[in-house]
Amino acid sequence: MENIKEDFKNLDLTVGDVFSKDARLKARNVNVFYGSNKAIDNVTIDIGNKEVISLIGPSGCGKSTFLRCFNRMNDTIDSCRIEGKITLDNENIYNEKIDVVPLRARIGMVFQKPNPFPKSIYDNVAYGPRIHGLSENKEHLDNIVEESLKRAGLWEEVNDRLLSPGTGLSGGQQQRLCIARAIAVSPEVILMDEPCSALDPIATAKIEELIHELGNEYSIVIVTHSMQQAARVSKRTAYFHLGKLIEVGKTKEIFTRPRHNQTEAYISGKIG
Amino acid sequence: MFNFYLLIGIIFISLLFFIIGHNEAKNIKKINNIKLHSLSHYYGIFVLLASLLPSLGMYFIFTIGDDLLFASLIQNYVPIEVVNSEDYNFTIVLAQIKNSVEGLIFGTPDQWVTDAAEVWKSWVYQSQILTSISCIFTAIISGFLGYRKINHKFRSRNAVEKIVMSILAVSSIIAILTTVAIIFSVVFESIRFFALIPYDDFLFGTVWNPQFEGAERAGSGQEGLSQYGAIPLFAGTFLISIIALCVSVPIGLFSAIYLSEYATSKERAFFKPLLEILAGIPTVVYGFFAALTVAPFLRSSGSVLGLDVASESALAAGLVMGIMIIPFISSLSDDVINAVPQSLRDAGYGLGSTKNETVMKIVLPAALPGVVASIILAVSRAVGETMIVVMAAGLAANLTANPLEAVTTVTSQIVTILVGDQEFESAKTLSAFALALTLIIITLGMNFYALHIVKKYREQYE
Repeated sequence: MENIKEDFKNLDLTVGDVFSKDARLKARNVNVFYGSNKAIDNVTIDIGNKEVISLIGPSGCGKSTFLRCFNRMNDTIDSCRIEGKITLDNENIYNEKIDVVPLRARIGMVFQKPNPFPKSIYDNVAYGPRIHGLSENKEHLDNIVEESLKRAGLWEEVNDRLLSPGTGLSGGQQQRLCIARAIAVSPEVILMDEPCSALDPIATAKIEELIHELGNEYSIVIVTHSMQQAARVSKRTAYFHLGKLIEVGKTKEIFTRPRHNQTEAYISGKIG
Repeated sequence: MFNFYLLIGIIFISLLFFIIGHNEAKNIKKINNIKLHSLSHYYGIFVLLASLLPSLGMYFIFTIGDDLLFASLIQNYVPIEVVNSEDYNFTIVLAQIKNSVEGLIFGTPDQWVTDAAEVWKSWVYQSQILTSISCIFTAIISGFLGYRKINHKFRSRNAVEKIVMSILAVSSIIAILTTVAIIFSVVFESIRFFALIPYDDFLFGTVWNPQFEGAERAGSGQEGLSQYGAIPLFAGTFLISIIALCVSVPIGLFSAIYLSEYATSKERAFFKPLLEILAGIPTVVYGFFAALTVAPFLRSSGSVLGLDVASESALAAGLVMGIMIIPFISSLSDDVINAVPQSLRDAGYGLGSTKNETVMKIVLPAALPGVVASIILAVSRAVGETMIVVMAAGLAANLTANPLEAVTTVTSQIVTILVGDQEFESAKTLSAFALALTLIIITLGMNFYALHIVKKYREQYE
C-alpha cells in the first residue's frame, strides 16, 4: 500500500533539477484552477538571477497560465484561483499584504500580440515611469525613454518620430516598443508570452537577439511554442504537459538528451 | 381598392413566372443532363424580378402621373367666368372637384363642379383600364423576355446579384432624397418668411414677440409691434441643452465606465437593461415628470435657500432632459469602451497601473472618438427635444443665462406657432420654418464639426 502511494508521488515529480542556486523567483507547489478545472498541477520551479528560461509544451499545457502567475495577471480573471506559494526575493507575492501594483512594476510583461497604447512612441515608453513617478523632471524622463528605446534596439529607427503614434510602427517594431515600455520601469524580471508568434522571421530574429542581450541584465521567462526559439535564446528549458511540469534542465540537454519519455515525444514531434 | 387588386395581380403573375423559370431551369438540367451556371431557383428569381420590377415601375408612373394629368386637363372644364372672378384659386377649385368625385358634397355645389366631377370620374375609369392593361402587359412581356434568356450558360446568379444591388441602392437614394426634400420644403417656406422680415432682424434680434401679428394684419393701425428676434430662443435652447449635458455626460459616462470596467457580469446583466428602460420612456412622460414633480421641488427648495425659482424654469427642463439622454450616452459609450481590446488593458496592468489609471489613461483615450460620437448624438437629441421643454420650460422668451428663470426653446416655439389653424401668409406662421431651418443648419454644423474631431482622433489612434 505504501509503495503504491510512493509511486504516485513519483509520477508527480518533475524530472531534472528544478532548483537554482541563485534563485530570484521561486514557485512552490503551485496549483491554478479555472472554476473547477485544474490548469496547473503542483508545479515547483526556481527562476535564477539573470537567467533566460523558456517554458515549452503543447498548446493548452498551461505554460502561459503559469507565466501569468508570476505577476498576478491571473487576478484579472474572475474564475481563476491559485494555490501554493510564489516568492520574489523570498517574499511571497500572493501574501495578502503585497500590493500588486508595484509588484507588476518589478515584474514586467511582454504579450503575445504587440499591444502598444494608442499614443505616441514617446508616451508609450514614458507611461510606466510617469505612473510610478520614476522621473524627477522632463529631462530625466527623456533620458529614460531614450535609454529604454536604445536597449530595445529601436532608438535608431524611431528617434526622428518619437511623437508619431506607436500603432503606426511595423509589427516587429511595435513588439520592440512594448519591450522598451516594459524595461522603462526598470523591472527585475521580464515575462514574455510568445513574444514572436505574431511576427515575421526577420522581426523574430531581432527580438531573439534582443532577448539574448537583455538576459545579461534581467531574469527573463519566455513562453514559446517554437522549440528552435527556446534553443536559441534560453539557457534553461522547462517542459509542461497537461498542466504538469514534466522536465526541467539545461536547454542543450533537454533538446539532445531528454530524460522523460513525454519530453522526448514532444521534442521529436510526436505530441503537438 | 382597384389599385390593391392590380398590385396583387402583378405579384401573382410574377410568382407564376418564378415557377415557370424555375421549372424551365430544372428541365434544361434534367433533359440535357448538363450543369447549369447557377442554382435553378436563381433562374426563377431572375424571371420573377424581370417581370415584377418593370410592371411595378409602370404602375407607379401611372398612379402618380394620372392625378397630375387630370388636374391639368380639368382646367378646361372650369367655366371662364369662374376663372376670371377675383378670388379664383385653382387649388380650391381642384379640391372642390375632387371632393365631389369622392362623394363629399357640402351644400349644393355649382353645376359645373358636378359636371367636372363626372368627367373626372370617367377619366379615372379609363385610366384604371389603361393602367391594368399596360401593367399586366408589361409584366407578361418582360417576364417572357426574362424567360427567353434562360439557358445553361446564362449567369442568373450574377444577374440577380446586380438586381438586388440596385434595389438596395434605390432604397438608400430614397432615404437621401427624402432628407433633401424635407430641407427644401423648409427652405422655401423660410424664403417667404425672409421676404417679410429681414434676416438680420431675425438672426440678431434679441426680442421674440410674434403675438401682435393678428392685430397688425387686422388693420389696427399699429405697425412693428411684432418682433422676430431669434436669439432668445436659441439662447434658451442652448441653456437647457447645456444643463442637460452637465447632468447626462458625467452620469452617463461614469455609469458606462462602471458597467464595462468594474461591474461583474451579473451586475452588468442587471443594470444595463435597467438603464436602457430610461430610453424607452416616452418624452411626454418625462415632460410631466419635469412639470409636476421636478419644477415644484426646485421651487420649494429654492425658496428654502432664499432663491426665486420660476415655476417653469430652465433648470427643471434641463435636469429632466439630462436624465432622458443618460441612456444614449451610457449605452453607446459602454459599447465603445467594451470594444477597446483587452490586450491594451493587460498592457496597462502589466506595467503596474491601477484599474483607475488603466481606465483613465489607456481605455478612455482609446475609446474617445466613440465617446465623443455618443455625446454628439446626445446633444442633437437635446437640441431637438420638444415635449419636455414645452411642458416644463415655459413659453416666455426671456434672454437670460439664469437657469432659475423661465426660458423657451426653438422647438417649443415652433410647436406653439403651428398648433391649431394657421394662415400661411402670415409672418408668424412662416417664422416657424425659419426657426426650423436655422436649427437644422446649427445641428448640421455641430455634427459636421464633431465628426471632424472624431476623424482627427481616429487617425491618431489607429
